[in-house]
Amino acid sequence: MKERKERKESKEREEGKATGEGGRGAARDALQGGRDDPWTAAWEVSRRKAVAVVDCRQEIPCDPCETACRKGAIRVGDDVCALPISEPETCDGCGRCVALCPGMAIYLIDRSADGGKAAVTVPYEMGEEPRAGMEARVVDGEGKELGRGKILEVRAMGGAAATLLVKVEVPETWALKVRGVRLRQMFIEEPEEVEGYRGTGDCLICRCEEIARAEVEKAAGSGFRSLAALRRASRVGLGYCQGRFCREPLREELARKCGRGVEELGIGSPRPPLRPVKISRLGGGDVRDTQF
Amino acid sequence: MALPAYECPMVVVGAGPAGLCAALEAAEAGIRALVMDENERGGGQLYKQIHRFFGSRHHGAGKRGFEIAAEMVEGCERAGVEIRLSSAVLGCFPGGELLVDGPEGVYLLRPQATVLATGAAERCFPFAGWTLPGVMGAGAAQTLLNVHGVLPGKRVLMVGAGNVGLIVAYQLLQAGAEVAGVVEAERGSRGYEVHLQRVRREGVPVYFRHRLLAAEGDEGVEAALVESVDEGRVRRFRVDALCLAVGLVPQAELAAMRGCRIAYADELGGFLPWHDREMRTSVPGVYVAGDAAGVEEASVAMDEGRLAAVAAAEDLGALDGARAAAKRKELLARLEGLRGGPTASHIRRARARLNAG
Repeated sequence: MKERKERKESKEREEGKATGEGGRGAARDALQGGRDDPWTAAWEVSRRKAVAVVDCRQEIPCDPCETACRKGAIRVGDDVCALPISEPETCDGCGRCVALCPGMAIYLIDRSADGGKAAVTVPYEMGEEPRAGMEARVVDGEGKELGRGKILEVRAMGGAAATLLVKVEVPETWALKVRGVRLRQMFIEEPEEVEGYRGTGDCLICRCEEIARAEVEKAAGSGFRSLAALRRASRVGLGYCQGRFCREPLREELARKCGRGVEELGIGSPRPPLRPVKISRLGGGDVRDTQF
Repeated sequence: MALPAYECPMVVVGAGPAGLCAALEAAEAGIRALVMDENERGGGQLYKQIHRFFGSRHHGAGKRGFEIAAEMVEGCERAGVEIRLSSAVLGCFPGGELLVDGPEGVYLLRPQATVLATGAAERCFPFAGWTLPGVMGAGAAQTLLNVHGVLPGKRVLMVGAGNVGLIVAYQLLQAGAEVAGVVEAERGSRGYEVHLQRVRREGVPVYFRHRLLAAEGDEGVEAALVESVDEGRVRRFRVDALCLAVGLVPQAELAAMRGCRIAYADELGGFLPWHDREMRTSVPGVYVAGDAAGVEEASVAMDEGRLAAVAAAEDLGALDGARAAAKRKELLARLEGLRGGPTASHIRRARARLNAG
């Protein structure tokens, strides 16, 4: 496998992400970094024209931005996991990459109008319909509301099931922070504290045969060491669903009780029929002549 | 009992991305595969995916899941592949016969080659209240939303911040539901960062190091109790639906019935038919592809399906060794690319173990 410097850095970022804020911190650092980083270049060019900012920071197998761009301004290359590199000078601000990026991680920024304003174009796929002239909540990558912005233009791009591109006017200082517009007010209430929680008691583990978890624990405690034995003893997993709901939880429960790994218990011995089927159908009565 | 039995060169079980690509690749080698699927439409899970897909141009990346599904089904039609829908394969006998329950009735198929592309099933776990109406797998919620046009709830709590949980949370928002939060026991998301960002951008709180304790309600879900793992603080979320996105399990039952050796890889979803790099199982004439061979991406499933068909075509004598090797080389390189990033390190580890025996 190709060992690229960026890949190593991205790995570090990813590890940072797992423990909290490292990913975003690294991105902010990149933003304030040297002259050759693409964001700085895009920022400069956006003084003159609308230009794509590619906020793709995780090396995942994805490259449609490269073919979306008809100007060849975005390169991923042969390694499908490589981070895209954009050339702001070549970008004509058409917005196809904004519409087609599966991660919705590309934006257009345009600072060519004077007066301390910037126009930012973001992809939009929610149900509420944005229209030019409306006020929208403008949010950053964390979903924090930066404030309100006026929608300047709405376009549809990217095939029959198009993505809407919403161009919103914001203060210039937000230009690189804006990641979305929100039209809906959600009423997310804070969850209430539960004082003195003392557990919920038992629950079913096999819903078809109505067998409680405690019964399974008891059976496992009394020496059953396989799913098959447990099934024979309790009918667990032998109901209508044929264990499709409970097989995995049962295996885990049994493994825990026996002090064994799940893999040691084995997959068991599944037998036909895999799905419920009427005996009359198995009798073969209503089989039409089948051509092969 | 004498069920009608039919001979055929190749049967593909499952019309998802792996199965359809296997059939397309087989058609290129001149083998007319018969694709069986228990659903009413082809395309597998892709058919209900409304988001744009990752991957490369070989996998329809940048298009929405249902668009990719439609293209593959059309491709099969053009290639003369027969897809039998509403046809469940109920069993696979040691002799290789497949037991099918379809619109034609119940019958047996005797294929020379069998590609198992049965996909994966949603994992679930028992908790107090898990049998209440309103508790469902995230995939079930997605089926309700995108196939049946039914909102699973007005306010939903998502359990699991992997790609499935994050994608379905976003689709719930798109359909007009509120998502009260995404609960994840780990410190961070196993999913792609862009999926996490999209959900956060819509104002949905993501609770890491939290776990679901119970669902409450009389006739259906009215609330969910959630505990912070580190502080032991318990909180009640007022929601009317609870979606579980806690992993997928390869559907390996047919392979086990057939006598294929079963391996175990936690990173790939658990038990799965052991297979070599070319997607041959331990039983000659039986191949496996897609999530059934270990849970990964749809793009991986497509290339695995093609690999399985190349192996089958070679074994049937429809593809000479040199052409098979050339195709395989290209597909393996593509798969290596898809699995090349830092987010797939656990997949590479599990695959290396599997290949070693």
